[in-house]
Amino acid sequence: MIAETSALVKRYGSHAALDGVDLRVPAGSIYGLVGPNGAGKTTLLGILCGLRRPSSGTVRLGAGPGRVATLPDTPQFDPWLTGREVMALAARLARPPSEATTRAARIESVLAETGLAEAADRRVGGYSRGMLQRLGLAATVVGEPELLLLDEPASALDPAGRREVLDLIARLRGRATVIFSSHILADVQEVCDRIGILRDGRLLFQGTLEELLVGRATPAYRVRLRSGAEPAATLLRRQQWVTSVRADDGGLLVGVRTLDEAQTHLAGVLAEAGAQVISLGPQEAQLEDVFLELTS
Amino acid sequence: MTLWRLEWLRLVRTRRLLALLAVYAFFGLTGPLTARYIGEILRAAGTEGVRVEFPEPTPADGIAQFVGNASQIGLLVVVLVAASALAFDSRREMAVFLRTRVAGVRRIVFAAYGTTVAGAVAALLLGSACAWYETAVLLGSPPTGAMLVGTAYGAVFLAFAVALVALVAALVRGVPAAAGVTLVLLLFTGVLGSVARVDTWLPTGLLGALGDLTAGGSAGDYLPGLAVTLLLTVLALAAAVTLGDRREI
Repeated sequence: MIAETSALVKRYGSHAALDGVDLRVPAGSIYGLVGPNGAGKTTLLGILCGLRRPSSGTVRLGAGPGRVATLPDTPQFDPWLTGREVMALAARLARPPSEATTRAARIESVLAETGLAEAADRRVGGYSRGMLQRLGLAATVVGEPELLLLDEPASALDPAGRREVLDLIARLRGRATVIFSSHILADVQEVCDRIGILRDGRLLFQGTLEELLVGRATPAYRVRLRSGAEPAATLLRRQQWVTSVRADDGGLLVGVRTLDEAQTHLAGVLAEAGAQVISLGPQEAQLEDVFLELTS
Repeated sequence: MTLWRLEWLRLVRTRRLLALLAVYAFFGLTGPLTARYIGEILRAAGTEGVRVEFPEPTPADGIAQFVGNASQIGLLVVVLVAASALAFDSRREMAVFLRTRVAGVRRIVFAAYGTTVAGAVAALLLGSACAWYETAVLLGSPPTGAMLVGTAYGAVFLAFAVALVALVAALVRGVPAAAGVTLVLLLFTGVLGSVARVDTWLPTGLLGALGDLTAGGSAGDYLPGLAVTLLLTVLALAAAVTLGDRREI
């Protein structure tokens, strides 16, 4: 494990922002820390990077001194610095002066990778929100840290900016361990291979995406109908193997005890109700469903 | 790019160094001028039939006029410039960038402190040089030894004032709060020194040393204040680093 906490508690007065968190982050993984606003994500990242102190519990980091880099949710820099100067400062603080040549090459390489090479000599006061986010990420990776802590790195960006940042994070796979907090579940599902779900300072789940999804959400079938939705719903509700039926986007979402039973009986019941079927298929469990199930 | 270069660029690109130099140079040039012509100006503006007599201005008057102005407006500018560099936690995102890249805030504080003191002392030297030249031209040469020692005392005071800003910035958040609390503390120290007649024992006593020494005062009278100021400067910096390391952001 490159990052591990044990019974981690952080209190602000009587409020527990973190309440007994046992985090386990394997080296080399991209770990998504998800949770609603106020769940404790930023507090946990703050403790991991040393900006906050835990009230109790322990933190163990496998990364060496100076090998942990942090990106806040809305990175800001002195507006009178150029992008290249921000990178030079970040690289200089991360690497000893003896590595000046390596450092200069590394700065150019990261600027190119983040698409900032052309804007590198402009002052950052004139950068757009997306450019600042990319510069923040570039300044975070330029020192080649072993562990990156990214707090909501794409949450405030437009779709194009979000895509760029997610691609940058995905490219870090295999080069570093990333702990990435977000409340945008699609981002986490796309980029992360391990997930931790925080709510009210408690870690409700952590593991791989597959471990999270399998057996969590209620199995269901999504049925699209041209007509006959009402008699079909009435007939389906009488079936023992059906757990719920609700209208869903021009069709029905049918909750079932098991997918096997649905595969055996669903088509027959729809035919019996005289419904005109456009399509039907199992509704795969989505991170959002499981997240809502866990956090509601 | 080092933290020292970052702070140097902050001084230069934000024109804070220019503001420091301009303020001290302005008072250095206008102080002796005011001392030389204040009598004539007031006589010209006076009521008809009333004759006001002023003693002939001396070189000490020219320097005292510079010191009086520089110790107020000049000090205000120094404190504001220092607060803008040393209150680095005032913007959380920028603080995260710096704090997570160094082990402890010592390097950040020392770079900001050293650069600001250098800028402030350079401004004081420029102002003193201007005041010295202008006084020599208009009123006669002030004593060289007194000018040098008095300016050195003033430089030590500025180093203390910036260290006090560093300490206050570790206690409060925000540039205005750091500057405001520091100015109140300095004002309180000045008033305390005057009321309790312990001025030469306090840092604020060093502020007026240049004017007093050129008027014939003894440099030795300020040695207790010098010792206290140096001690308080070291303590303030140590406390700023300790408190800065303990602060959560």
